[in-house]
Amino acid sequence: MQKNIVGLSILTALMLHAEDSSLEKRVESLEKALKANQDRLLQEKMQKAISSSDSFNQQAFVPDIAFIANMSAVVRDISNKKYSDYAIDGFIGKAGEIPFNEKRGFNLNYGEMEISSTVDPYFDIDTALHIKKEGLHIGELYVTTKSLPYGFRLKMGKFKSEFGRINSKHQHSWRFSNIPLVFESFFGAGGLGDEGVQLTYTLPTDTYLMAGYEAMQGANGRSFGEDDANSLHIGYLKSGFDITDSNSLLLGATLMHGDNPNGQTDIYGADITLKSIFDSYSSLTWQSELLYRDRDLQNDKRAKQAGAYSELVYGYNSNWAMGVRYDTLFKNIANQPEDLDKYTAMVEYKPFEFSKIRLQYVYDKSKSFGGQREDEQEILLDLTIESGSHGAHAF
Amino acid sequence: MELMHFKKGKKMKKTILITLLLTTAIFAKVNIATTYNYLGEVTKAIGGDEVKVTVLANPKLDPHFITPKPSLIGKLRKEDILIINGGQLEIGWLPPLLKSANNSKINVGGSGFLDVSGVITFIDKPKNVSRAYGDVHPDGNPHFATDIHTIIPIAKLISMKLSIVNPTHKLTYEANYKSFASKMEALSKKLDTKYQSCKGKKVVQYHELFNYALKVYGVKNIGNIEPLPGITPSSKHTLKIINIIKKQNIRTILQDVYHEKKTAQFIANKTGATVSIVPHDVGAVEGADTLESFYTMVAQRICQ
Repeated sequence: MQKNIVGLSILTALMLHAEDSSLEKRVESLEKALKANQDRLLQEKMQKAISSSDSFNQQAFVPDIAFIANMSAVVRDISNKKYSDYAIDGFIGKAGEIPFNEKRGFNLNYGEMEISSTVDPYFDIDTALHIKKEGLHIGELYVTTKSLPYGFRLKMGKFKSEFGRINSKHQHSWRFSNIPLVFESFFGAGGLGDEGVQLTYTLPTDTYLMAGYEAMQGANGRSFGEDDANSLHIGYLKSGFDITDSNSLLLGATLMHGDNPNGQTDIYGADITLKSIFDSYSSLTWQSELLYRDRDLQNDKRAKQAGAYSELVYGYNSNWAMGVRYDTLFKNIANQPEDLDKYTAMVEYKPFEFSKIRLQYVYDKSKSFGGQREDEQEILLDLTIESGSHGAHAF
Repeated sequence: MELMHFKKGKKMKKTILITLLLTTAIFAKVNIATTYNYLGEVTKAIGGDEVKVTVLANPKLDPHFITPKPSLIGKLRKEDILIINGGQLEIGWLPPLLKSANNSKINVGGSGFLDVSGVITFIDKPKNVSRAYGDVHPDGNPHFATDIHTIIPIAKLISMKLSIVNPTHKLTYEANYKSFASKMEALSKKLDTKYQSCKGKKVVQYHELFNYALKVYGVKNIGNIEPLPGITPSSKHTLKIINIIKKQNIRTILQDVYHEKKTAQFIANKTGATVSIVPHDVGAVEGADTLESFYTMVAQRICQ
């Protein structure tokens, strides 16, 4: 409206050059119209103000909330009773809690609420709450700094360690429905997550180079578990560069040192990821991680063990992807060979960005049931949903 | 005497150091990252020799889904200014990169962050926002870059930002803006006149990527090949589009470079319409490597 009036006045002004006589009259009528318009706007404002106020409305500050769910149908050649306390010789005495795809038949694996928000100019807060049948469980809850000098970033709270490639990722963004065997054996089915602090620094260079250090409580019982005081230290370096515009390489190295009830545990890790992008929706990713563990046992014994996985995932288009993964464990570095292997293949269909249906086949030679090594096979169909304000996933 | 010598030497050193620091500060270029190529071209035109521009997205790829490569983190880490398209076009790939780069200058709210969509009057603002309608942008259609008329206010905004971050060269930026704006105004007038005849023309497009340009030349979009934004074509919907094209005698199908081209070709074969590949960004199509050639090609390929 006001724009129109301004335009009109310019137009009138131009016309008035020719018609000097009616100038005053026209200016007068324009001024009148302007005044009438201002009065009307004020009247409208008053009508609103007399009975309402937006002053205490905080809707714009509601955190981003995403709701995530995963469920599956499983066919397996081992009964539920046998499967419920499987072991991996030399690594896992008893499975304990099996968070994903525990039963033959139908599984509602979890619901997860992810809440994140910018706190103020200095902090962000992120949390992932797992909703299980037994109740609410804090998967992650951490605060990150936003404006420390020299590009340092500090993270505090409970979080998944960011070493390597897969550990910090949540189940809903995994390409296969289980964590690699070596991660399950060394840290449990959810990976290494703990209470602690993290400091990271990224170099301001074209070649990506970042260094991270984490001090953690050491509550993870699979490798550490001596948490009378904070005892776990993790350091890692990550570097990445583009070989060509569509081929990227990412490398990482990790060092961990912590206490366990019998002494100390050292873990060394290395990872490599190579990604080729064919077009906006098609890519090929090869990702491998290797972990080596040197751990004190009871009676002055030591265990030197290792494990690795290697996976190849081909994204055909925005809907279809397929992948294979090979997992292996070395129970005792000195006495080889052993065949604690696992083979996984999957086909994934995404109707849209926020839902994923996956058909997966597993041939697992690593498990023991009731003290007996036995091969296990399973076919799984699962559905993953990411709804709400869900942030984009990292590389 | 000796003491005085010593003092003098120290003072000299200090002066040299200060001069060195000052000169590097004066001669240092402003590091600027832009998400898309067209923003990079505008920034280069405004910043001239005073800026070093890095473009994050490959213009041949889907602007919604750029792979957040680690090399981009290192790049963002050292920038003084980050210029984004906005309108949620970058929401699917930029936030994790910004988080990892942890450069407070270019985070939202930082001195070097600039979202150019602030100067745009959005069209296609959805009445209802729900993902039941596909990948909707709540603020409206973010693909305003295809309209040459939006580039002038964007250039002005960029020149303002550069002047604030780097006031030493304020006059240069303003002068560059003036010559840029007059050049673009001349081109847009030329295109407006040349393609007046295409008013009322009807087209079909893959994604609602060219609506701003269509509006400029008075071209009507009758349907989209994708059933909903971000949803791949279904045979049912494709048949519907074929029927619409036949019924309304539509001659042109607008196709971008990054979506599959099979469906458009199939529809063309069934209806006799022609598939016209239209660039969505500078550098998306060969021969559209400058802003001038990009806007000329957009108009030409929509109207012909």
